[in-house]
Amino acid sequence: MKIVVAYKWAPNPQDAEVAPDGSVDWSRAKGAVSEYDPVAFEAARQLADATGGEVVGLTVGAASVDSPLARKAALSRGLDRLVVVADDRLADADGTRLAAVLAAAVRSIGDVDLVLAGDSSVDVAEGQVPMTLAGQLGWLGMAAVSGVTPSADGVVVERDLPGGITTLALTGPAVLAVTTDAVVPRVPGMKDILGAAKKPVEVVPLDALEVPDVVAATTLSGSRPETGNRRGVIIDGADASSAAAELVAALRTARAL
Amino acid sequence: MDFGLTDEQQLLLESLDELLERECPESYIAELDLNHQPPTTFRRAMNDAGFGSLGFPEEYGGTPSDALTLVMLAERVARQGLNNGYGLELLQAMDILEFGSEEQKTEILGLLANGDVPFALGFTEPGAGSDNSAMATTAVHHDGMVTFNGTKTLITNALQSRYLLLMAKDPQVEDPRKSISMYLVPMDAPGVTTNRLDKIVWHISDSCEIFLDDVTLPESSLVGVKGNGFKQLMRNFELERLVIAANCLGLAQCAFDDAATYAAQRVQFGKPIGSFQLIQLKLTDMAIKLENIRNFVYKTAWMVDQELPLKSQGALCKRYSAMAAFEVADEAMQIFGGVGVTVGTRVSRLWRDLRGHRFGGGTDEIMVHIAGRQIVKDHS
Amino acid sequence: MNVSTQTWIVVADDPAVSGLVTTARGLGGAVSAVVVGRKSVADSVARAGVDEVLWLGEPGDGAPVEAYAGEVARVLAEAGAAPLAVVGATTPAGRALLGAVAARFQVPVLAGLRGATLEGDAVVVERSVLGGIAERRVQVVGGPSVLAVAAGGVTDEGTAAAVREVPAQPLGAARVTDVRVKEQTGVDLGAARAVVAVGRGLKAQADLDLITDLAAAAGAELACSRPLAEGVDWVAKERYIGISGQHIAPELYVAVGISGQLQHMVGVRDAKVVVAINSDKAAPVFAQCDYGIVGDLYEVVPALAAALRAGS
Repeated sequence: MKIVVAYKWAPNPQDAEVAPDGSVDWSRAKGAVSEYDPVAFEAARQLADATGGEVVGLTVGAASVDSPLARKAALSRGLDRLVVVADDRLADADGTRLAAVLAAAVRSIGDVDLVLAGDSSVDVAEGQVPMTLAGQLGWLGMAAVSGVTPSADGVVVERDLPGGITTLALTGPAVLAVTTDAVVPRVPGMKDILGAAKKPVEVVPLDALEVPDVVAATTLSGSRPETGNRRGVIIDGADASSAAAELVAALRTARAL
Repeated sequence: MDFGLTDEQQLLLESLDELLERECPESYIAELDLNHQPPTTFRRAMNDAGFGSLGFPEEYGGTPSDALTLVMLAERVARQGLNNGYGLELLQAMDILEFGSEEQKTEILGLLANGDVPFALGFTEPGAGSDNSAMATTAVHHDGMVTFNGTKTLITNALQSRYLLLMAKDPQVEDPRKSISMYLVPMDAPGVTTNRLDKIVWHISDSCEIFLDDVTLPESSLVGVKGNGFKQLMRNFELERLVIAANCLGLAQCAFDDAATYAAQRVQFGKPIGSFQLIQLKLTDMAIKLENIRNFVYKTAWMVDQELPLKSQGALCKRYSAMAAFEVADEAMQIFGGVGVTVGTRVSRLWRDLRGHRFGGGTDEIMVHIAGRQIVKDHS
Repeated sequence: MNVSTQTWIVVADDPAVSGLVTTARGLGGAVSAVVVGRKSVADSVARAGVDEVLWLGEPGDGAPVEAYAGEVARVLAEAGAAPLAVVGATTPAGRALLGAVAARFQVPVLAGLRGATLEGDAVVVERSVLGGIAERRVQVVGGPSVLAVAAGGVTDEGTAAAVREVPAQPLGAARVTDVRVKEQTGVDLGAARAVVAVGRGLKAQADLDLITDLAAAAGAELACSRPLAEGVDWVAKERYIGISGQHIAPELYVAVGISGQLQHMVGVRDAKVVVAINSDKAAPVFAQCDYGIVGDLYEVVPALAAALRAGS
């Protein structure tokens, strides 16, 4: 079984500064393997070990996703090898374009049985790209996957859906986005980290892939979210009891209680 | 000079961060400290992730590493607030890997892998600490057996260890440098008894008196060469001082971070106390000390990795780091005021544990003794 | 130029479509629905305020909803004029349908929607991006605007639009073999009327009792800012509010000992009333609250709990 893990090398918006015009300063934020992707790495590794398969990491993005650190960070998490499409023309690419490039890369890897991905990325946090990737490939795409285990003729998929825990028998190719608690990802150990530099990495030029044209959204303007448009009644708490009474009275008047 | 981390160091530290968040949260440490328990589950997780065989030869499943990486990891574990959580047991195990028999190596590595502390170091005696010539515990070899008599004291981790790495001397040999040998003595051997010493520091490590009354074992309990015990023990002392210094650095950083955060939040006279210059002076001097300790520790580790002669460097580093780190914790406590001494605040534990490092692994004063005579010798 | 005014909603076997219909209706023009799943869902959607329902037929042989995603995209592509907009839900199955639609038309999926209006021929979308820390006004030129919105609830407008069955062939890659009803676990902060959250102003874990007591007095759920869920493990991660945590809109939100960083506040920006309790009068949270008490939380919180109990 050949499993591709589509992952993202991304900064954490916790460390971003946002200007009033909505522009985002990432200079304090470092890139890392996106927060929930290690779960996909682990699920893929366990499945591959059980079926004698191969795990191929795949990431696409700006040139910065292919630093030596970024490579080792991914390869230390149970991958057999890595495929990277790193091109600054993808720097501001939206999800559909990234999905189109991912799909082209999955086709070029060839004979892929399954693509696993994390639930959502740490920066964009919309959980859309894996499903759009499935659309690009014409494959079945399923999110909210809480378990992936091998069976005699394929894979058993468990999903945590509002209607209940749903079990599926999967026989065809699919893109699965795994929930954050599907498996507990192992912490990369010494050997994994020191061995990462020795694993094969294939850099695929963007121009070598057949990627369809994708319409990009046009940004008209940006802003910082307005969280300050509130009454702003400040009460001195030096006398805690009277301050508390004043607040409770105000909340009752505002019908907040 | 390059002060940046290598990719591998950065990834190891990130990996360790994940492990600490998962296996060693503050609530876990506070509980161990309260109940005087060792961090066994954390150590086991560290071993599972391969941190427990850092620097061991590859034939023992180890991963080659350098001293700088080792001290960074030890610092990071300590910064979590866990005292002596990582590093020292590796150095001890290396004594066995270097000098022990195959059976001894197998046994010790197995215990380490399980998160256990394989052995306590049986060195200090009521009448002999750093002055090893005064050692009174005897080892008498006879008919393929060896019999031990004597008392060890302030032995760290004795109750949680399977073995005692015992230093004992042959009463027949006059020269103290040739009389001491190293033995691996099971703690449950007949004739071994212990007495737990309650102490106000290092609650996650027990301390004991150990009494050896005609403890008789096969001669295969000898580690390395008879008469070379002291030399074998000294082998890793320089690294041990370095790891202790890194541990002090991490604990002090933890105390500093707690104090600085508290100062930014605690309001008196209508503003955060961090806005007062007297508090800022403390924080500034604490930051300078931390920077000095870090540079001292990292540079000493770098010297080890370059195989430069350390001479007095290890002793200077240990003395400075232990003292300055305690000063940082003491000022952190001062910033917390009365809150700091209440049970349950981390800073009180850090303060206690750092106090212990001013004598553990050699007192501040013995470091002067070691470094001072070396300095004079170098200039003679 | 022949500009379509046709807006579609795509439905993944879920009758809760009020959010989709509201967004689609806001663009004017006709609203059609493509429904995957049971006939009962198609019938329910037909009464939710749409003009027409295309139903892809009763799912056979355990095919999951997502197996029809490509067929949904095909139906839209073959419907005549290219759609003006396609609106779907942010649920797992909803995202799968939207992904197939986005891939079919090679256009972006716009999530984090705060508003969508028709300006001239163009759909102008206001959306939150990057977990809510920034906002953008965007438009898509050269293809339909594909919008992901909260599903909303079930509505009945009283009249039923026609339901037309369209034959569809699902992917055969997967078959549902079992569905088990879940035990209800964990906490649903999103459903709470009131939420009391605590941050780094709390000095020790044991002091959480003060906050839970206040929450009990206010009839509120307990929540926290990021450091309390991730820096220390005092509060369960499910209760962390902020960009990578929960986004909630309760009637009342009380922030105790929380400084008010943007990354936290975007998680409660839609709360009705925000109360802040903090010892630092310069804390940014006071510029983002309706009512604030500047004081020591160790005094204010018990006093507030008492005042709430006294009044009730």
